[in-house]
Amino acid sequence: MELPTASRRKFLVAIANLGSTGWIAMNWPQIAYAAQHGGHSDANDAPPTRLNTLSPAEAADIEAIAGQIVPSGKTPGAKEARVIYFIDNALGSFFGAQLPSFRQGMAEFQGRFAKAHGGKPFAAASDAIQIAWLHDVDRTPFFMAVRRLTVLGLIALPKYGGNSDYAGWNLLGVENNHSWMPPFGFYDTDYPGFEPYPGTKPYTA
Amino acid sequence: MARKTYRTSETVDFIVVGSGAAGGIVARELARAGNSVVVMEQGPRLASHEFEHDELKYRFLSGITNDPATSPQSFRSDPAQKAAPVAGRNPLTYAKVVGGSSSHFNANFWRLHEIDFIERSRLGAIAGADLVDWPITYAELEPYYTKVEWEVGVSGLAGASPFDPPRSKPYPMPPLPVKASGVLFERGARKLGLHPFPAPMAINSVEYKGRSPCIQCGLCGGFACEVEAKGSSVWTVIPEAEATGKCEVRANAYVFRIGMNKAGRATGVHYFDRDKKEQFQKARAVVVCANGSETPRLLLNSATGSFAQGLANSSGAVGKYLMFNKGGSAAARFDKPLNEYKGANVTRIMHDYYDSDPKRGFYGGGGFDARSGGPLTWGQSVPKGTPSWGPGFKEYLESYTYWMTVAGHGTSLAVETNRVDIDPELKDAWGVPAMRVTYKDHPDDIKHAEWQVERAVEIMGAAGASQIVPGEVGNTSGGVHLLGTCRMGNDPRTSVVDKYHRTHDVKNLFLCDGSSMVTSGRGQPTQTIEALAFRAGEFIAKFARANEI
Repeated sequence: MELPTASRRKFLVAIANLGSTGWIAMNWPQIAYAAQHGGHSDANDAPPTRLNTLSPAEAADIEAIAGQIVPSGKTPGAKEARVIYFIDNALGSFFGAQLPSFRQGMAEFQGRFAKAHGGKPFAAASDAIQIAWLHDVDRTPFFMAVRRLTVLGLIALPKYGGNSDYAGWNLLGVENNHSWMPPFGFYDTDYPGFEPYPGTKPYTA
Repeated sequence: MARKTYRTSETVDFIVVGSGAAGGIVARELARAGNSVVVMEQGPRLASHEFEHDELKYRFLSGITNDPATSPQSFRSDPAQKAAPVAGRNPLTYAKVVGGSSSHFNANFWRLHEIDFIERSRLGAIAGADLVDWPITYAELEPYYTKVEWEVGVSGLAGASPFDPPRSKPYPMPPLPVKASGVLFERGARKLGLHPFPAPMAINSVEYKGRSPCIQCGLCGGFACEVEAKGSSVWTVIPEAEATGKCEVRANAYVFRIGMNKAGRATGVHYFDRDKKEQFQKARAVVVCANGSETPRLLLNSATGSFAQGLANSSGAVGKYLMFNKGGSAAARFDKPLNEYKGANVTRIMHDYYDSDPKRGFYGGGGFDARSGGPLTWGQSVPKGTPSWGPGFKEYLESYTYWMTVAGHGTSLAVETNRVDIDPELKDAWGVPAMRVTYKDHPDDIKHAEWQVERAVEIMGAAGASQIVPGEVGNTSGGVHLLGTCRMGNDPRTSVVDKYHRTHDVKNLFLCDGSSMVTSGRGQPTQTIEALAFRAGEFIAKFARANEI
């Protein structure tokens, strides 16, 4: 076993206790270089700007449902995040296998709603009627699928269609950046360093 | 330097199947010993800049993992049931790129403790399980744990935990900067008289061996590291293996059967190339490091007339004793932002409850850490009592940066009926019989996970959380720690490989990955898999030199 001397131990534990400033100062040149060359921006991937899978009537109803799942208000909701473009893109590509069952669920949803509301489409109903209706159906596989797609569309990268201008990330409080430096949050700001336990002898190389 | 290539007609010294945590190391050790080596990797080889910060792609669309659309698996919880594919996901998940699952792991590098190797002797038999001692001890593996830490690169603080097993050297790098979850976890645990400490991580905290320090992007688990700060074999040992001029890494090479001759010796491997064309590579010996799911599947799919139950399976143990690392957790909300999407995923862990304590009334032990998930994964579910849609759900989404998780990582007992075998009907996109997974938690694993949930709740309570959401403990239906399916042992009647990773039945066939593990450890198996790989590589090279393969 390599056991360091007491003075060396003290120094090494101090190293292990590196606070934010020390760690950054020691590593910043390498970190900055690595981050610059990481190449993980999605800036070059333009999001879809047209609906290619859903019909206008389908898209209107899905967007209305998504708008009740994450409503607009003081902060952007699913509509402002253009979640419908994500859903349309997903069902036309990587979730394409789910499109037939999704459409079947949607047809049942639309048919039942129209029958109960004099042929009126869901998207044309008032917020109060939409919310009441969704409370009745929010355990159905179709609603669950729209909910899942809405959340994915809100938070996935904008290149997939939703999270327009990072509206979803802004809602969550997520900043759009590729690398970070400590302190990361409130509680690590004044961390005094790791204090060894009695009887232990922490040491580093 | 041009990379070495071999023709399929050449008989190379070794084929290593799999380029992950074990395969990369074994290949490097064999190549450095002067052997010609071909590493077969079923996935592509990607440059670091090709990995993206795309949570949808990597966590929901099988971006670099085994895709259920092309590589399906079936699952059942009871051997009496007919297994069926699970909608949208595979039960057993691993990364399918050069670097294997070391590309997308979280990089928690825990050594096993001395007790892990001798629990059967210490605790005795456990009803309904097949708990056995390892054929090696911690002391035998310790030099190789150290080798992992210095060769691959691990950051940490040696001696910080009163429960640390003996070690011959400190970590080569200091710990990563602590994040808010680590501070809160440490605060709560210390209040309870526990001993949290800086997490050992295979992530560079400083520049190491020419690789960058971590840029704290926050996307470790499930993602590959585009700045090469994570100790993935594709950035560490594989380039070193190739630098010998003796090793070829053959990407997009899907090995589906091991070739055998009438003398009972492996002759090479049958594989599909990138064009799905069948090829055969000749070799003097084969080392399978394909992970705890694909290694037994390959052996079982390699059945021949004289090995009707699969290769190296005279014990019947191939595919049996599948283990994960079951654990219990709790999420907690605090009054100020933590911003857990920033920074390496884990910065503090705790091993106070590592050992199994008979006084609890059940078998099980584990460690805890403070961690978080990416926003896309987090947003999929809500705590009990929180609306799943509408203004209340939106308010919950707005609280994302105020949350963290304390996760327990624990033992899973070896149970003979928990296994990987071959589905009688299901085939993959290459027409190769798919794997069937049978798994049901041992009752003690459930009890221990529930116990861990209670401890996680206590720690977050002591830390001052404003809301605590205890995790739900359900039946395990899959995992990423794929362990125990070709267990190591001295007795050919009950184990698949000996303590040097040579199969008991085929002299020139070796296996080394999570499948070799005899018990599950407590949650973070990769460092053990890599230590085993360094040890296996050293011994197999010795056997080759002595013409004993």
